[in-house]
Amino acid sequence: MTAIARARAPRPDPFLDIDSYDPEADLMVMNLGPQHPSTHGVFRVLLYLDGEIIIKAVPYPGYLHRGVEKLCEKLTYAQITPIVDKNDYVAPMLNEQAVNMAFEKMLGVEVPPRALHMRTLLAEIQRVASHLLWLGTFAMDLGGALGGGTSVFMYCFREREAILDLFEKLTGCRFHYNTHTVGGQRHDIPAGWAAEVHRVLGAISDRIDEYEAMLSHPIFLKRTKGVGVIDAQLALELGLTGPLLRASGVDHDLRRDAPYHIYDQIKDLKVAVESDGDCLARYKVRVVELRESIRISRLLVDNVPEGPICGGRPIKQPGQFKAKAGQVYVGIETPRGELGTYLIAGGGKMGDTPYRLKIRPPSLHALAVVPYVFPGHSVSDAVAILGSLDPIMGEVDR
Amino acid sequence: MTPAEENAAREQAFRRLLRERFGVEGEADAPLPDDGVVVDRAHHVDLAKALHKAGWQLYVTCAATHFPAVPGKKPTDATTPECFEVATVLRTVGPGSHTARWRVKLAVGESLPTLVPVFVGADWQEREQFDLVGVHFEGHPDLRRLMMPEDWEGHPLRRDYAIDTPHAPWR
Amino acid sequence: MSELMLNPWIRALFWGLVMITGVMTVTAWSTWFERKFAGRMQSRMGPTLVGPLGLLQPIADACKLLQKEDLVPDSADRALFNLAPVLTVGFAMGVAAVVPFTPTMLAADLDVGVLWLLALSGLMVFPTWMGSWASNNKYSLIAAMRAVAQGISYEVPMVLAIMVPVIMTGTLSLSDMVADQQKNGWLIYRLPLTGLIAFVIFFLASLAEANRIPFDIPEAESELVAGPTTEYTGMKFGLFYMAEYIHTLLSSAICAAVFFGGWDGPIAPGLHWMLLKSVILFVFLTWVRWSFLRLRSDQLMNLCWKYAVPATLALIPVTAFYTVYAAGKGGV
Repeated sequence: MTAIARARAPRPDPFLDIDSYDPEADLMVMNLGPQHPSTHGVFRVLLYLDGEIIIKAVPYPGYLHRGVEKLCEKLTYAQITPIVDKNDYVAPMLNEQAVNMAFEKMLGVEVPPRALHMRTLLAEIQRVASHLLWLGTFAMDLGGALGGGTSVFMYCFREREAILDLFEKLTGCRFHYNTHTVGGQRHDIPAGWAAEVHRVLGAISDRIDEYEAMLSHPIFLKRTKGVGVIDAQLALELGLTGPLLRASGVDHDLRRDAPYHIYDQIKDLKVAVESDGDCLARYKVRVVELRESIRISRLLVDNVPEGPICGGRPIKQPGQFKAKAGQVYVGIETPRGELGTYLIAGGGKMGDTPYRLKIRPPSLHALAVVPYVFPGHSVSDAVAILGSLDPIMGEVDR
Repeated sequence: MTPAEENAAREQAFRRLLRERFGVEGEADAPLPDDGVVVDRAHHVDLAKALHKAGWQLYVTCAATHFPAVPGKKPTDATTPECFEVATVLRTVGPGSHTARWRVKLAVGESLPTLVPVFVGADWQEREQFDLVGVHFEGHPDLRRLMMPEDWEGHPLRRDYAIDTPHAPWR
Repeated sequence: MSELMLNPWIRALFWGLVMITGVMTVTAWSTWFERKFAGRMQSRMGPTLVGPLGLLQPIADACKLLQKEDLVPDSADRALFNLAPVLTVGFAMGVAAVVPFTPTMLAADLDVGVLWLLALSGLMVFPTWMGSWASNNKYSLIAAMRAVAQGISYEVPMVLAIMVPVIMTGTLSLSDMVADQQKNGWLIYRLPLTGLIAFVIFFLASLAEANRIPFDIPEAESELVAGPTTEYTGMKFGLFYMAEYIHTLLSSAICAAVFFGGWDGPIAPGLHWMLLKSVILFVFLTWVRWSFLRLRSDQLMNLCWKYAVPATLALIPVTAFYTVYAAGKGGV
């Protein structure tokens, strides 16, 4: 078996012994990262190259490790929201929702219907922004910083900017919103916001067709079709979720399958599934999700129920919430997959802070696929695959 | 079957499996405790295998927790010894997705058999927990630190690891 | 003045100086143009701050590049590392010598202008390879490997494609080619239309030689950081950058001369026509660059060896037979 054929055999061994690989081969060891244009942050992959074909890839995450889980153990339940904003900095709304849902479940706080409705709406608008950013950076990975890729990138950022403006009108912040809290929301919808949402999302949904047309040319298809195939079995075992899992042919979406917020009221939620598991399938899944999220957002923004936006008493002092000892797990569907929160509450004297908070980032699981898909591809493809995985390093390393 | 019914059926199957084969106390159909079920260390891998076979195919996460020794309230009381807990979460895919989670209690120095042969995704998750909490996973093919630098001393997510612990050359 | 110009040495010196300053200036402002053009394409402004419409931006860029610290990596081969950027601009400028702007405005009216052109663009691979190898950097090494593979491969369809105009006009001199087109019509539409296909292939090959998207595989910022120029700083990097633009500009000029009749055109003077055609081709190149993604190295090779080379090989006999047939009929 030749070197390349062996590397392309199904499911490469991530623990391949490089010494016993092929004594004749002239291997080159190359570091992709930690400072590299296409690693979407600081991430290092050690590549063993035979010519330009990758034989073995060893990823090294952790360059952005900030000890968020440790910090959360020292902060009270109401203080944690702004910290987790910085995890997945492309979709901060959903980070806030994930931890606050776990806290509400643990503390037994009721969330009023208006707040639930708003959370669903914000999650969907945020999903549009996040997928737009992904589309832009993916095109840039394929086309370089000085070419057609940048054009798509600029267009996507222009649309995302409009969404950030929407969020700014709602919360006063463009990025790290701190708008969710235990029991509901902190900022109510301002007057005229719904019309703005319609205007922005309407413009975006028209333009997505243009971007799709811009990317459906033979070069894009050649670069993505059949590149970085992840089979369904591997995806499930690795814990890939979200668009990556659906692109591998598994029909699974927590919004439909384990509904939270008011997703059970949205009857015709379309879940995009592709069976190829390559970069093109992941692109297709995300574009369908983009359209679907726009549709749902426009549906939701028109019938937000009246009522309070926060259940329970307003938060006056940090240590207001006391939890009994217990453990809960809550998972929600972010643009990248299942963002889980495993919360262990201490109870007693330690009742006002989490005893242990484990955040399950979808991107960490997505990067774990690197040693399995990189071998057999060239360095160019490695960049395309990494881009299609949509990793956010803030979330991977926490 | 509606998604809700599907979910209830999965929950039923999970309870039965735990009580009939893995020595969890209680009536076969009685609800499980809110804070998850504790499984014996010896059953850990078998339970994961059984669940994988029965449809819980998506590896979600594992979370290790450190419980430091707690001295008794009165000087005469015995001290609760230091221990660890490792929680594992699996999921079924498709409508009515059900999460199965269980915990394993470990004494100091005890290691937990790895889940890598069943779910390859356990590789990084277990490395992370080993790195941050210091639980040893027996039989793991590549148990290195994942987040912290290779030469880091101690395990930062232990409850007795102070946030301002000095570590050259960083601080 | 006109008597002086009859002396070929003085003529070469004069037009050589004019060419060098002219090409350098045009190159500098073509970067401004490209940035402005790309900016408008991407719904942003492009340079606006330095001078009116940002017109002084190239000067500011040059000043910035000159101020940068000149770094040479410890493990680099100093001599080759420093030589490479000089050679790359030298070879690129060398092509300018034979580009016929008007019947009189050309530095050297070589009888074998086409050969000179092909030889110099073939040599362009060497400085890239030399600089990458001397950098002693793994990204540069991969880039060098890709550059050599790409440069050598695309040399073949380029040579074969330019054979078509040579057969059709029966000369190797670029100025004679234009003169022939003035008499018998531009090659781009002259029967048997092989000129059109040859133009497409020649244009693609010169894109590949100039490392422009979709063929900027050696540079590939998203994969290889900056490819051959990863370790270069300041003006040395600037020279590589300049060579790329000179190459692109001159490729457009040569295409305009060889396939679009050069200075041939009604009313306006010949120079205007030549410059207009070159600029249109350059704008087209820029447009392509900012709309397309990058191919992969092996896909580029496929395109070259499976499509471009066989196509040009088929063009040559067709053109030759038609030319002989037409000459027999007493036509062209």
